[in-house]
Amino acid sequence: MAKLVDRPKADLVIRSYIPEVLRGLRVTSRHFWVNFLTRKNVVTIEYPEEKYPYPPRFRGQHRLMKREDDSVRCVACFLCATACPADCITIKAGERSDKNEKYPVSFEIDYIRCIFCGMCEEACPCDAIRLDSGDHKLPGYTREEEVLQKEDLLAKGGLSIAKQGGILQ
Amino acid sequence: MPTLKIDGIEITVEPGTRIIEACDRLGIDIPRFCYHPGLSVAANCRMCLVESNRSPKPVPSCYEMAVDGLEIQTKTQKVIDARRAVLEYILLNHPIDCPICDKAGECDLQDLYFAHNYQPSRHAFAKFHKPKARQIGPQIMADSERCINCTRCIRVCDEIAKAPQLHQVNRGGRTYIDVFPGTEIDHPYSMCVSDVCPVGALTTKDFRFKCRVWFTNGTQSVCGECSRGCSIRIDTYRNEIQRIMPRENPTVNQFWACDAGRLAYHNYETDRLQSAKANGQPVASDAAITQLATALDSVASGARVLVVLSPSMTNEAAWAAIKVGQKLKGMVRYAIGGREAGFKDDILICADKAPNRAGLALVLKTLGVEAVPLSAALAGSPQAIYIFGDDHHLEDVLVKAMDGAQLSVVFSAKDGPLANAASFAFPTMSPYEIDGTWLNEFGILQRVRPALTPTWDARPIEKWLGALTTRLLDEQIADDPAELFVTAMSSVNALDGTPLAASGLDGIGPFGIALK
Amino acid sequence: MDWMFMLIALLKVLVVLVVFVLMLGAVLTWVERRMSALIQDRLGPNRAQIGNVRAWGLLHPIADMFKAFTKEDFVPAGANRMLFFLAPAIALASTLACFAVIPFGPGEHFTIAPLDSGMLFIIAIGSFGIYGVALGGWASNNNFGLLGALRGAAQLVSYEVTMGLNLVGVFAVFGTMSLSQLVLGQGELLWGWLPKWGVVVQPVGFVLFLIASMAENKRAPFDLPEGESEIIGYFAEFSAMRFATFFLTEFVEIVLIAAIAATVFFGGWQIPWLDPQGVAGGFITVAQIGFFVFKIIALCWLQMLIRWTLPRFRYDQLMNLGWKVLLPLSLANIVVTAIVLALS
Repeated sequence: MAKLVDRPKADLVIRSYIPEVLRGLRVTSRHFWVNFLTRKNVVTIEYPEEKYPYPPRFRGQHRLMKREDDSVRCVACFLCATACPADCITIKAGERSDKNEKYPVSFEIDYIRCIFCGMCEEACPCDAIRLDSGDHKLPGYTREEEVLQKEDLLAKGGLSIAKQGGILQ
Repeated sequence: MPTLKIDGIEITVEPGTRIIEACDRLGIDIPRFCYHPGLSVAANCRMCLVESNRSPKPVPSCYEMAVDGLEIQTKTQKVIDARRAVLEYILLNHPIDCPICDKAGECDLQDLYFAHNYQPSRHAFAKFHKPKARQIGPQIMADSERCINCTRCIRVCDEIAKAPQLHQVNRGGRTYIDVFPGTEIDHPYSMCVSDVCPVGALTTKDFRFKCRVWFTNGTQSVCGECSRGCSIRIDTYRNEIQRIMPRENPTVNQFWACDAGRLAYHNYETDRLQSAKANGQPVASDAAITQLATALDSVASGARVLVVLSPSMTNEAAWAAIKVGQKLKGMVRYAIGGREAGFKDDILICADKAPNRAGLALVLKTLGVEAVPLSAALAGSPQAIYIFGDDHHLEDVLVKAMDGAQLSVVFSAKDGPLANAASFAFPTMSPYEIDGTWLNEFGILQRVRPALTPTWDARPIEKWLGALTTRLLDEQIADDPAELFVTAMSSVNALDGTPLAASGLDGIGPFGIALK
Repeated sequence: MDWMFMLIALLKVLVVLVVFVLMLGAVLTWVERRMSALIQDRLGPNRAQIGNVRAWGLLHPIADMFKAFTKEDFVPAGANRMLFFLAPAIALASTLACFAVIPFGPGEHFTIAPLDSGMLFIIAIGSFGIYGVALGGWASNNNFGLLGALRGAAQLVSYEVTMGLNLVGVFAVFGTMSLSQLVLGQGELLWGWLPKWGVVVQPVGFVLFLIASMAENKRAPFDLPEGESEIIGYFAEFSAMRFATFFLTEFVEIVLIAAIAATVFFGGWQIPWLDPQGVAGGFITVAQIGFFVFKIIALCWLQMLIRWTLPRFRYDQLMNLGWKVLLPLSLANIVVTAIVLALS
C-alpha cells in the first residue's frame, strides 16, 4: 500500500531559498567560529599522541601466559591452531623434562593473517593464550616483522592464576 | 546356522559368530575397547554390554556367541546406564591430559565419553598416579595413567608378533601394562601395540608430538619395503609424511604392519635428487632431455646397451621403460636390480625386499622380453646403461660400469653415487609419490597412490620417458599411469576371470585384485 | 613597445599571478580543508611538518605539491595524448589570463593590461575554461569522463549567459566597461553617506552574479561535472600534476570570482569615507591595495562557506535554475535598471 507523502505548499520566500541558505550559512559559520576559537565541539582524536581508551574486552595483540615458575603455560595442544579460522598459528611441539611433558618449541602468530577473532583464546584449555594485552599489533615494514615468535608473545605475558585445565581456583 | 534377533531385526549367522560381529554386520553401533577383530576375545572392558533374553544381567556382546532364538537389545535404558557406569569407572583414574596426548582426536575413550557418558567426574579423591612418559622400547612410549587395561597390546604381542614381551603388573586400580624387568618391547611389530591401543597409553616414539591427528590427510597406498605389499595409510600434513599406519586388508596383512615398513619413509626425507643432472652438474629438466636426445643419436647401432629395471617400479613405469628400451639403438639387454633379499619371518615380512618383482616378471613376460642377472649383464661391459630406480645391489659395480660406458642414464629419486656418476640423471618420485600398481609375491595387485607432491621438478619415470619420446621417437608412448595400466594389463585377467583392462586403474578396490 | 615596457609587464605578471594568485590558490586548498573540518567538528590536516614546525598544517600545500609532482603520470590507453596534455593547461591558463585586466590599485601601474573593454576580455577568455573541461573528459577515452565533460559543458554554457547579463546592469549604471573606470565610479558617495558600490546599486545583480559564477566554477552546490563523491567527473583519468592542475584551477577561479566581484560590486580598491588629506600618497595606495586584497579574501571565504553549507543540486534542478529562474531574473534586472536610468 503506497503511502501518501505530505508535501506542504511552499511559499515564495521558501522557494527563493535565500532565507534558508542564509540560515544554513549561519549554522556552518557558528560551528566554524566556535571550533576555531575554542575547539569545544571537535571530536578528533590525534592518534599517536592521544589514544582512544579501549573497552576492557578489546582484543589486541596476543600474549602467552606463564606458570609460577616462569615457564610457558602452553602445552602445544594445537587447539588454538585448530580453531583459528585464518590459519595464522604455527606451533612446533617438543618434550619438556618435567611432568608437564609437552611444550611449544616455537609458537608463531602471523599477524598478516590474524583477524583478531579471539577463537584461539576461546579454544585454549590452559588459559595460555590471551588477546587482552590492550595493545595493537603495530605495523611493520617487512613480512618477517609481522610474524611474532614465542619470545615476543611471552614478553607481554603475565602469570595466570587459572589451574592448568582452565578451571579458576 | 543360528538365527537371532538384534533390536528386533532377524539375522542368520555362522555358528561361532560373536554377537558384536552380528551387530557390526547389521550396522548397529556397539561401543568397545578390548574387542579387536584380529585378536582373541578378552571381554574385560565391559563396554559392549547388551541385554539378552537369556540372562538377567547385561552380557558382553564380544564374548557371547550367537545362538538360535537369542534376542538382543542394544538401545534400552539398562544398556545405556550400564555403558555410562562402565565409562565412569574407566575414567576414575584417567588423567584427562588430552591436550598433550597424541591419541586425542582418534581416541576411543574420548569419542565414547562424548557419546555415552558426558558428565563431570564425581571422583572427589586424589587419583592414583602411575608411571608416565616412559620409553619401553625403541619405538614405543608408555603412559600408564592413560591405560584402561584392555590388554589389546598384550594380545598383539602374544598372538600376532609371537613375542610375549608385555604383561600387566599390580592389581585393581593400580594395574598397568609393562615390559618384563630389564627387557624392552623390540619385536618387529612393536608399533602395532600403539595402533590397537584405544587410548593414548602406548604411542610411538616416531609420531610423538609431531602433529595432531585431525590435521592429517590419509592416502591409501601400499608399503614398498618387502614383497608382501602391506596395505598402508600414509598420513600427511602440509606435504610431509607424519606417520604410516597399517590399513585393513584381509588378503594381505589383516590389520598389521611391521616397524621397518612404517619407518621407511624417513629414507626419502633427505638426499633427494632435486634437479636433473648432467655429468654430476645440475641442469634444467628440458635442457637435460634435449641433450640426452642428442647423446642417444651418437650411440652406435651395434652397441651393447643395458637397461637395469627396478623391482620397485610400478608396472606402468616398467612397461614404459621396456617399450622405450625396444626402440633404442643397439643390442639391448635387460637386467633386474633392486635390493638384496633379507630378513623374513612367518608373519608378514618377506625375504624379497622389493614390492613388485612379480609385477615386473609379468610385464617382461607380456612383452616377450628376457632379463639376465645383473652381475652377468655388467660383466659384458655395456657401452650404454639405463638405470631405473634406486637402492640397487652391486652399486659399486654399477658405478664402475657406468664410468666405462659411453652413455649412462639414471632415473632416481635419491641423490647419490649413481646420480653423480651418470651422464644424465633425472629426479623421480619416491614410493610415497608415485601413482600406479604393484603386484605382490602372493599375486595381489594393489594400487599405489601419491601422498606427497615434490616441490621441485621431480616426475614419475613414465613422465620422463614420455617427454623423452616426444623428442626422440616417431611413436609417442603414453605417460599417464591409467592409460599405461590398460595397455600393460590388456592380456591379464583377475582370479575371477574378469580382464584387468576393463576395470582400469581406478577399478582397483581398497583390498586390491587377486591374480592367479 | 620597448624592452622597459616588456620588463615591467613581466614583473607585474610575476607579482600578481605567481606571488598573489597562485599562492592564495594553494593556501586556499589548505583553508578549505581546515575550514570544512572545523565546520564538521573535526580538526582537518595539521600534521605536515618540517622538523618540528607544523604551522597549523600550512605546509600541507607544499607536501601536496611534492606528492603531485612525484606521482605516476598516467595516460590511459587510447587517450588522445596531446589533448590530454593540453586540457589542464587550457583550464589553468584561461583562468589566470583573466587577472590581466583586474585593477589592483589606483592608476595604470596596478593593472597588468589596462583595457577599456576589460570586462569583455574576462568574459571572452573565461569562456575558454569550457575547453579544459570538455577536452579533458573527451581526450581521456573514458565513458564516465566524457559524460562528466558533457555535464560540465552544458552547465558552463548555461550559466555563462546569466553571468554576462548581470554585469550589463553595472555597465549601464556606470556607463563604462573599463574595470578601472568602474572602480573610480564606485568611489562616489550616494546621498553623501552611502558608497556607490555595485552591490548597492545592483543588489539583485550581485546575488545572481554570485550564483552564476559559482556555477561557472563547478563547485558545490553546482559540482555535477565532477561529483567526486559518487558520480565520476571529467578528470576521472587524470592523475599526478595533471589532476593537481585542474584542482588548482578551481581555487584560482575562486580567487578570480572574488576579484571580479570585489572590483565590480564592492568598489575595487576604493576605501569609502577615506579622507586623503594630510596622509602620504604612497601610504594611501598601499592601504587601498591591501583593502582590495582583503575584499578578495572575504569573498573567497564566502564562497567556501556556501560550498560547505549547501548540498548539491540535481541536474534538472540545475538546468531549471539556470534557464527558468536566473536568466529571466537577470533580464528583468536589466529592464528595471534601464527604466530607472531613463527616468532619472
